Amino acid sequence: MSATGAARTGARGSRLFGLGRGLSRERGNFTWVYLWGAPLRAMHWVAAACVVVLIVTGFYIGRPYFMTSGEASAHFLMGRVRFIHFTAAAVLMMTGIVRVYWLFAGNRFERLPALFPLTPKNARRIARTTSEYLTFRPGKEPGLVGHGPLQQVAYTSLYLLVTVMVVTGLTMYGQSNPGGIIFRAFAWVPSLLGGLQLVRLVHHVLAWAVIVYVLIHVYFTIRSDYIERVGRVSSIITGGLFVSTDEKYDDYDIDEVPARPWPGSEYPNPTK
Amino acid sequence: MITPSAYGWTESETLRQHLESRGVSRRDFLKFCGEIAVVLGVGAAAAPRIARALEAVKRPTVIWLQLQECTGCVESVLRTADPTIGDLLLDLVSLDYNHTLMAGAGTAVEKAKQSSMAANKGKYILVVTGSIPTKEGGIYTMVGGRTAEVLVKEAADGAAAILAVGACAHFGSVQAARPNPTGAVGVRDIIKNRPIVNIAGCPPIGDTVTATVVHFLTYGRLPAVDGEGRPLFAYGKRIHDQCTRRAHFDAGQFVQAFDDESARKGFCLYSVGCKGPATFSPCPIFQWNTRTSWPIGAGHPCIGCTEPHFWDTMTPFYGRLPNVGGFAVEQRVDTIGAALAIGAAAGIATHAAATVYTQIKRRKATHQVPETATEPENQDG
Repeated sequence: MSATGAARTGARGSRLFGLGRGLSRERGNFTWVYLWGAPLRAMHWVAAACVVVLIVTGFYIGRPYFMTSGEASAHFLMGRVRFIHFTAAAVLMMTGIVRVYWLFAGNRFERLPALFPLTPKNARRIARTTSEYLTFRPGKEPGLVGHGPLQQVAYTSLYLLVTVMVVTGLTMYGQSNPGGIIFRAFAWVPSLLGGLQLVRLVHHVLAWAVIVYVLIHVYFTIRSDYIERVGRVSSIITGGLFVSTDEKYDDYDIDEVPARPWPGSEYPNPTK
Repeated sequence: MITPSAYGWTESETLRQHLESRGVSRRDFLKFCGEIAVVLGVGAAAAPRIARALEAVKRPTVIWLQLQECTGCVESVLRTADPTIGDLLLDLVSLDYNHTLMAGAGTAVEKAKQSSMAANKGKYILVVTGSIPTKEGGIYTMVGGRTAEVLVKEAADGAAAILAVGACAHFGSVQAARPNPTGAVGVRDIIKNRPIVNIAGCPPIGDTVTATVVHFLTYGRLPAVDGEGRPLFAYGKRIHDQCTRRAHFDAGQFVQAFDDESARKGFCLYSVGCKGPATFSPCPIFQWNTRTSWPIGAGHPCIGCTEPHFWDTMTPFYGRLPNVGGFAVEQRVDTIGAALAIGAAAGIATHAAATVYTQIKRRKATHQVPETATEPENQDG
């Protein structure tokens, strides 16, 4: 999300509520770079749907906000909500498996090493990006086609966060069948955290962390779209970015032939 | 009902001979064996084996140490569900030392304990209720001028089996709650080289104690235990999964306040802080005070007293989740979470506004967009 790929101008402004009047659309030479493989994109959106379902049902389980009346035998509200919660969690875990597979089968932007941008240069870049976010001044260094290190650190943190959610969730799930595989596999969790209630607390607190995370994540991707003008949001749908061929990128040699052209599009590719 | 009798079970008698001499019919005895078999979860088929084992039992010696505690566990054990047989068992084991029940006091009793432990070395059952304070050299609990730690170590040395009865002997209970001023710990923290069965609960149900003793007398070993050292026959399932109010949980019917319509209808106590989903205990099945009732049956949420450190982890007893400390004010997690989410949203809105503002300014300044150079498609904005 580094605010590079600096603005090139055109006279045309955005029409969204007239807010962007005076803003520019991009002009210049662009190419479409394919970054995110189909499994990654599918996994992202399935997981996103699961997270929404999990948060809504999770809040009901944590503090039931609907009640039923009449005979208990006539209802199964909490039962159904828990069923949906557990099912969504199972699907989320499946997406996790897809992601783990793609950590090894994906391209270099998707593979395991990409998750840990731990170099001094990246540390400086994180500091610079942070200062850009705080001061609203774009940087001068070459940009990145893939994730910026700060962005990647955030995404990697989300993987860890969700892993903790899955572990604490499975721990509580396993309690209904003491001695079962899940119960025994996660028996270390309550002793580590100091009891089941603490497991419950961690699960609940991290649910809020996910909510805050989603807000910030959505904001920064839309903001990146607005500033960098590379189609960052659509890249998680189509898999690719429009990047300027006039720029230099640290992680991508733009003079090389782009991965593949915009599928089915007549988008002019001036470099070709 | 047989109350503790004037004449005791002599050393040479087997239990069967003794019961006969006291007028307990074989039928009553077998009934007891059947009930104990059910409590232990070994099935009625095991009843004859239990009967055979118990019949042949010579009077076992029990040394019961009462340390840093409130005596509630003894009171609970005195109310075992089957009074005839429960009292009988208490009477029939040779309870050589128990502060609450013994008539004597002082040096004589301490001496009697020493001689009993010496005479039955390696054979007696040690029951401990109460925690062991460790701070200041353990001076917070002393009996006969010796600290609880010394007493436990000494008694454990010659014991055939060790039963830590109650939350105090399990992990320290309320006196071990933060900040634990006396450094109270459970038996397992002092005696590390011996198997210990924790009869967890504050207090535990008396039947679990008697059943564990019977298990030991029958099979010659302690029952299978879970990771907390609690016998699986009693603590193998969550209260939540055995609860008589579970149907209301699944249906989505919850008590919101202790005097509301839902409370009168006996709905689930989840929303008023029931810890049944986090607590392993046989309460819904065994129940209390000769199977009269149990906390959730009486309309009170479970406080999770069979779980370690429940005073710290299960509190607030009337809230779903532990409190989160912060700024000297205890706050609900949801309050903090919602504040963070709103804060993040507000921060995002501010940041977005500032971004748009600086971007507009910068693009105008950098590129000198002529106000007139608009293109037709921009006209409709």
